[in-house]
Amino acid sequence: MAALPRRIIKETQRLMQEPVPGISAVPDDSNARYFHVIVTGPEDSPFEGGLFKLELFLPEDYPMSAPKVRFITKIYHPNIDRLGRICLDILKDKWSPALQIRTVLLSIQALLSAPNPDDPLANDVAELWKVNESEAIRNAKEWTRRYAMDN
Amino acid sequence: MFRFIASFFTKLIQMMLQVLSSKKHIIHNLLSIYVKTSGGQTVCLDIDPKCDVSHIKKLVAPQINLQPDELKIIFAGKELADDYVIEECDLGQQSILHVVKIKSPKLNEVFRCSTPKANLSPLTESLDYSTFSSEDENTEKPLERKAHFYVYCPNCKGLKQGKLRVRCHFCKSGAFTVHSDPQDWSHVLQPKQITGTCENDPEYCQELLQNCEPTFAEFYFKCSEHVSLGECDQAVPLDLIRPNLRHIPCLACLDVPETMFTFPCQKDHIACLDCFRSYCLSKLLERQFWQHPEHGYTLACPNGCLNSFIREIHHFRLLDDDNYDRYQRFATEEFVLRSGGLLCPQPGCGMGILAEPDCTRITCQQCKYVFCRNCLQGFHIGPCDPVEPSLDAQGNCDVDLNCPVVEDPSRTTIKVITKPCPSCKTPTERDGGCMHMICTRSGCQFHWCWVCQTEWTRECMADHWFA
Repeated sequence: MAALPRRIIKETQRLMQEPVPGISAVPDDSNARYFHVIVTGPEDSPFEGGLFKLELFLPEDYPMSAPKVRFITKIYHPNIDRLGRICLDILKDKWSPALQIRTVLLSIQALLSAPNPDDPLANDVAELWKVNESEAIRNAKEWTRRYAMDN
Repeated sequence: MFRFIASFFTKLIQMMLQVLSSKKHIIHNLLSIYVKTSGGQTVCLDIDPKCDVSHIKKLVAPQINLQPDELKIIFAGKELADDYVIEECDLGQQSILHVVKIKSPKLNEVFRCSTPKANLSPLTESLDYSTFSSEDENTEKPLERKAHFYVYCPNCKGLKQGKLRVRCHFCKSGAFTVHSDPQDWSHVLQPKQITGTCENDPEYCQELLQNCEPTFAEFYFKCSEHVSLGECDQAVPLDLIRPNLRHIPCLACLDVPETMFTFPCQKDHIACLDCFRSYCLSKLLERQFWQHPEHGYTLACPNGCLNSFIREIHHFRLLDDDNYDRYQRFATEEFVLRSGGLLCPQPGCGMGILAEPDCTRITCQQCKYVFCRNCLQGFHIGPCDPVEPSLDAQGNCDVDLNCPVVEDPSRTTIKVITKPCPSCKTPTERDGGCMHMICTRSGCQFHWCWVCQTEWTRECMADHWFA
């Protein structure tokens, strides 16, 4: 395996020394590009009280291409599919090499509080949730209790 | 006897060594330069870099039948003062100096007394990055190493250090003195910013201009790493590559590079050259360059800063040759498509074709393939064959694999697993996530619904945002 770029070493050190509140990201013992991530469900969201496991992988050409992030814990969220794949612009076309692991994880945490806030159609999100609100929130809370609170 | 022979040989060897070393010394120190007169005559001189400008005048004057004090020596936009030492002038091997006859030596004497010496030094000497870039205004100037310009040299085929040179905008003669020093890149890169005096043939230039505007300086750059190849030897300035005097870290690798690529966004977003190369390469392979109406096929600051497009596309010469070729090909293809043209669909061809808008029978000039403009299949009479695969809402395809397929398997696969962007028709594959598609083709970015294959609406969001 090629030597680990200084950027990844620096980011990992900073994640260890100054962790982001509510987020833990630990590199795997055997692969420094693979991180075990735990995100706590934000307060005042249907995910409050849950601990969500994610996996994060830094591809070969990181930071030129975005990290690959996936929820391992099942979650009921309009921007996360049943395989845990996340629909978030900064993981796709809005990725920039100036973004970092910590900014990505913060964005994911924010996504739990507000579905897809950066979407140009975000103004309509509130209205949409009015239509489905009670049922959607009930489902999300139920899934959080069932899948994210075991431990 | 033996002693005598031995001492003779030692002496001989010493003498030989001396001759060799002194010869080497001379060869090493001489500078070959050309001095060009306004009459078009060129004098070749081998000079000691330690001599001063008056010495050159003494050497040149007899060859052109003038007195040394009748001469004026011009280099890089400035007249060189008599006591200026050549090695301080930043002259390379086979550089060209310009010599002109002073119209009235008396007048010149007066002028010279009133001119501070700093003004009579070559332009490249009086310019450094601390004065040339406004960004250094507020910091102290720790110029440990000498700042310099960077160019793409078509002769050396690569990024090299460059030297700024000046000539007359109109007659292109190097015998030209500037009235003021350029203060920033815009003075150098944009034409007609700095006025000056053409010393070559002032009457010619003034007549040409009919006195309606002053004579302007034209700045150009040359590569400093190969011996000058004459006056046409030019290199493209890469103005965004600069010495990293303020020790800004690279936005991608966080190292502090010595030489940096500055994104044109005024926000200190810089990258080291390696990261800039990989940024270009990854954007190129994703076809994420933009076809900018003024600057061409280019990129902006990776942080998405407004109006941060790279204007000088020669910066992409930092890519290796293969990828630069690829860059040029993609740029051409994008241009053809933007202009309403199309690319020959024959594998291995891809020729750009501009055809009349209502013509559906297209013949490729390159490979002679005749195809239908609408379906890009071999030309046919009647409506196009509807080979659209049927996909259900989940994106699973429903294709009869037993049906005989007579065409290119890649093309079949593309047809089966993709849907065209409703706006630009680019075949698009959905590899997961929600039904909200954003076209990845640069310049399109259309928001569409994978299920409806129309623009993304709030109904799509309510009914089938995700599966």
